[in-house]
Amino acid sequence: MTLLLQELVVGLSTGAIYALIALGYTMVYGIIELINFAHGDVFMIGSLISIAIFGVFGINAASQPQGLALVGLMLVACLGSMLFCALLGVVIERIAYRPLRNAPRLAPLITAIGVSLILEDIGKLWKGVSNVSFPQIFPSTTYYIGDVSISSVNILVFVVAVVLMIALQLFVSRTRTGRAMRAVAQDREAAALMGVNVDRIISITFFIGSGLAGAAGFIYGLQYGSTIFSIGLYLGLIAFTAAVLGGIGNLVGAMLGGILIGLIEAFATLIPSSILPHGGAPWHDAIIFAVLILILVFRPSGLLGQQTPEKV
Amino acid sequence: MSMQISSRILRLPGDTRQLLVKWGVALLVPIVMFTFAWSGETIVNQVILGLLSPASSNYDTPSLIQAAIFILVLYATVLALSGYLVAADSGRRKTLSLWLDILVFVIVPLFLVITNGLILGMAFAAIIWVLFFVVRNRVFHAKPSAAPTSVESLMLSDVEQKSLLMSRAIAAGFWFATVFAVISLVVDLIFFFTGQLPPVLLIWVVVRTLLLPVAGYFLGRLGGLIALRRVISNQQNGNSEEVGGVDKEKQLQVLSTTRLAEEARDIVPNDLPLRSRGAQRFYLILLAAFVLFYPVLDPFLFGSGTAGRLSGYGDAGYYVILALGLNIVVGFAGLLDLGYVAFFAIGSYVWGIFGSNQFNILTGIAINPQVLSALFWPMVIVTAMIAALFGVLLGAPTLRLRGDYLAIVTLGFGEIVPIVFLELDKYTNGANGIVGVRSPAFPGVEWSTFTPVPFYYLILVLIALVIFANIRLRDSRLGRAWVAIREDEIAAASSGVNLVQTKLFAFASGAFFAGVAGAYHAAKLGGVSPDLFSFGDSVIYLAMVVIGGIGSIPGVIVGALVVYSINEFILAQLDTLAVDPSSIIHPIYNAIVQVVPGFTFGNIRNLVFGIVLVTVMIFRPEGLIPSARRRRELHHTAADGAEMGSLDPPSGSSDMEAEMHVE
Amino acid sequence: MSANSQEVQDSAGRETGDVMLELSEVSKRFGGLAAVQDVNLVIRKGEIISVIGPNGAGKTTVFNLITGIYHPTTGDIRLQGRSLVGLSPDRVLVHGIARTFQNIRLFNNMTVMENVLVGLHTQLKASVLGSLFRVPGVVHEEKAARERAIELLGFFGPALVERQEEYAINLSYAERRRVEIARALAAKPKLLLLDEPTAGMNEAETLEAVKYIRRLRDELGLTILLIEHKLTVTMGISDRIAVLDYGRKIAEGLPEAIRRDERVIAAYLGKPSTKEQPADATPEPE
Repeated sequence: MTLLLQELVVGLSTGAIYALIALGYTMVYGIIELINFAHGDVFMIGSLISIAIFGVFGINAASQPQGLALVGLMLVACLGSMLFCALLGVVIERIAYRPLRNAPRLAPLITAIGVSLILEDIGKLWKGVSNVSFPQIFPSTTYYIGDVSISSVNILVFVVAVVLMIALQLFVSRTRTGRAMRAVAQDREAAALMGVNVDRIISITFFIGSGLAGAAGFIYGLQYGSTIFSIGLYLGLIAFTAAVLGGIGNLVGAMLGGILIGLIEAFATLIPSSILPHGGAPWHDAIIFAVLILILVFRPSGLLGQQTPEKV
Repeated sequence: MSMQISSRILRLPGDTRQLLVKWGVALLVPIVMFTFAWSGETIVNQVILGLLSPASSNYDTPSLIQAAIFILVLYATVLALSGYLVAADSGRRKTLSLWLDILVFVIVPLFLVITNGLILGMAFAAIIWVLFFVVRNRVFHAKPSAAPTSVESLMLSDVEQKSLLMSRAIAAGFWFATVFAVISLVVDLIFFFTGQLPPVLLIWVVVRTLLLPVAGYFLGRLGGLIALRRVISNQQNGNSEEVGGVDKEKQLQVLSTTRLAEEARDIVPNDLPLRSRGAQRFYLILLAAFVLFYPVLDPFLFGSGTAGRLSGYGDAGYYVILALGLNIVVGFAGLLDLGYVAFFAIGSYVWGIFGSNQFNILTGIAINPQVLSALFWPMVIVTAMIAALFGVLLGAPTLRLRGDYLAIVTLGFGEIVPIVFLELDKYTNGANGIVGVRSPAFPGVEWSTFTPVPFYYLILVLIALVIFANIRLRDSRLGRAWVAIREDEIAAASSGVNLVQTKLFAFASGAFFAGVAGAYHAAKLGGVSPDLFSFGDSVIYLAMVVIGGIGSIPGVIVGALVVYSINEFILAQLDTLAVDPSSIIHPIYNAIVQVVPGFTFGNIRNLVFGIVLVTVMIFRPEGLIPSARRRRELHHTAADGAEMGSLDPPSGSSDMEAEMHVE
Repeated sequence: MSANSQEVQDSAGRETGDVMLELSEVSKRFGGLAAVQDVNLVIRKGEIISVIGPNGAGKTTVFNLITGIYHPTTGDIRLQGRSLVGLSPDRVLVHGIARTFQNIRLFNNMTVMENVLVGLHTQLKASVLGSLFRVPGVVHEEKAARERAIELLGFFGPALVERQEEYAINLSYAERRRVEIARALAAKPKLLLLDEPTAGMNEAETLEAVKYIRRLRDELGLTILLIEHKLTVTMGISDRIAVLDYGRKIAEGLPEAIRRDERVIAAYLGKPSTKEQPADATPEPE
């Protein structure tokens, strides 16, 4: 039982990170029907940028800032990462995806893969091929509920993610721009006819989605203490699974899907080796992909997506 | 008879003479370069010396005979080609523009290959070509464009014109050969008088000088004959050609401009005979001869290190097969498969398990290793069939999915399969992999992981078979069905194409060839392990198809070679050159390392691929050597010459939505 | 609903025969929207039946239901007594129903010949192995297929045969329509569904089309179901007309009766119609 609850904690905090990344995927797919392969790598760049920002202030893995300095540093790193990634996303859209807006589906998909490769190598050239340590400056205290340990970092990660998600949801549902985004996602031509500047809205979508990925990169580093250039592809795929699970194009679905995938991944480690050779842990990639395949085959609209009538 | 001959050769009208000069120079310069600046002369001399006194030669007789055959084929083809080109040329294209083309596309690459080796030389040449294209397109935009081809300009030929073409061809062959003979004679005499030519070869020099013009005459004639087969005769005698129940001339008249331009490439006379399909036959012969005899030629052409190079080409070969296989799924049927590596892995493991001791471990049946090796041949088929079966299994869930979702599901499988192989270590030996996988056996041939030559020939045979299968599939009922479902699934289904079967066949066929490549790979490497297969590999296979030309068989072959070169060779070579103070790469490398510590060329592999992919998709999505169909699809502008009614729907707007809304 | 072999007289007094297609209480709902409701229709062999109605009435949905692109929510569709419900479009074709589309759906980047060859897909037996090894049977079959395609294209005269190597996208609208019909004919259908075959055509082209539609029935023995907006066409060519509005069949009968039917006029115009001259059954030479 303790094990279960412990995995629950782990699942929730990793799930929150996945949810943040998943939001970017789902927003972009909802608006231009493109699976932005490079999104996961934007997340990776975010984590590296955070390290760089810390570096500017002379903070490294050993530093122990306190109080106001701590809060200030975290804000600067997080917001800085978000801003950089947001701009990166906009630039990528402008250069690589916009020229292909009317090309057959294959083209932007392949371009996205290309961008992903470029970002990966930039990460590799910048910070090397092995794990890069992320300053764990947030004071880590462990709380206990019964036998289950919850770290303050876990809580922080979860809180930050939830705050951002709520902010996003409010933005999309309450503001004019948010309404425009929803309109463009539903029917691009009609929105254009109504006077919406579609190009600008798409750029804004990438801005926000990539910004969230940047935040995810920051809190990922805080939670795990390290990052690496290759993390983008892997986490990106998991986050995409989450987006699909929740219903692609659906924001709440992405959040829900992220948490669920986090939980699935966590609980998967509990599978005994009598069922799977070596136990569930080394299989967790395969399990998540299996989940993805099952959803896409049996319920492609995801949990919260609408069941569109059968179109051959 | 001699009057006839001499009239054809000696009394030449002015424009014929112009053509002779134009093409003569164009062909002579590369041939002379090859013969004297490179190894052509050397090969011939060695062959003759070796055949005359085998004991003192460095080369064994079979090699010499192979080299001799290559030389014969090479020069004969070039002579015949000269006849064809001169006969096929309409004369409209300027001489200088042709010479510029030859310079950039033949002479410069030849030079680069001579000085830098085959792969690196071609890589540098490719960069020059890209620059040339860009510059040339800029220039073209500045000048007014040429008028489109019209039927009249195809110059339907009568008997007199045909005779003219033939005499041009003969004259071309004769004079080309004669000039070359004279040049060779002069050069050889210089060599002789400076003591570099063994006297015994003088006999050969004399024989050659006399034989060449004669050969030129007849080979030029052959070239002319080939050109004449592509001439459209007009119907003066009522002898017009009938194609599909209607005569060819009428057909050409009713074709649209774009379609006509395509046909015009094949018809003689031609504005660009170098690119015509007739000339392509000659190129194929040269290429085939080069590839076939390469193991024998390599020491002459590139010096030492043959074995290493051959092994590398053997590896490049399975990339070609993978590209051709993926081309079926992505190119023909239009199904974006991002997990192709799964089938390659399955193929490798099937032979890896069967062809090694692992089989004994698993089943307790011990098979004599020699027998195992002999069993490779039937097992290749079995392996491929098993892979095809998995193609159906893994393809089945994707059948109802739209393009990008299909891609993701296949990607998922591409990730799952290597994990399965890793974790099921009871069967697959897990991370340690399987070693001691047997190479195939062939009577009389010593074959192991240390002998690259048999693997080289094996992969050539396999590639030939795969190309053959691809072409047959593409032109069959199934191939048409694939294009149909790619164009419009609903129209295809309504025309009787069973979507499920057709798509599954695509997956199965693609997987089949991946299985073949896998078996070869395991045999050549002598082992198999899970870390050989990852998502990154699937991306590379996709890159091969995309960069080369989706749906185009020659395109993906070139794409595979390009990607393989970049992946395995060029970047590593650049790293080697980077630390060599004498090369130009050295200072470039040093400059970069100042800014980016930890930079190596090998490190930026993905960066290079990424940039290439993005650039290709934005500027030339149809790839390097596109299939005609794809280029049309991707660059389609409003139909020319068609009457568009005001109620015509805009092209490309056929969705079920439209079916529903307008009632 | 009518008995199977009841003799019915069409507008020219011809006797038509057995029931070819029968729709019984067919409905199709998309979520909350009922696109087609309780439609009954009987089509007999050799008839030319037109389905008309205002935009959005459900006509193309009915076609899609018949050919298997949609499956009916309720009701049955029978071809010569055999139920088609649940079959995929390629199976429906094999049973004998071919169609054309309102927005012509040719394979644009294939030639005219290749388009018709795809139409022959179900008539060819070539297996994958047979194609790989170019077994004599397959070679012969391909050759025969091309000849058959030329025959089919030739139904419309020599023009399309001459242009057989042209890409479909480069043809004129009227030519594309004919190629689509040729492709549909390739599968030897018994029943042909034509969705607005004269859309976008001028008067001369429309007259041409009416002529060859009639020839399809007279010369090839096809039964034809037609969606048409041009009343001149429907009046002149149809044996019977069925009228749909808001997914329901509101009238059915001989052309003259339909022309005067109050409900039909109300559905289309909301007021009494002005006189319309039907296209002549046998047009005078010009």
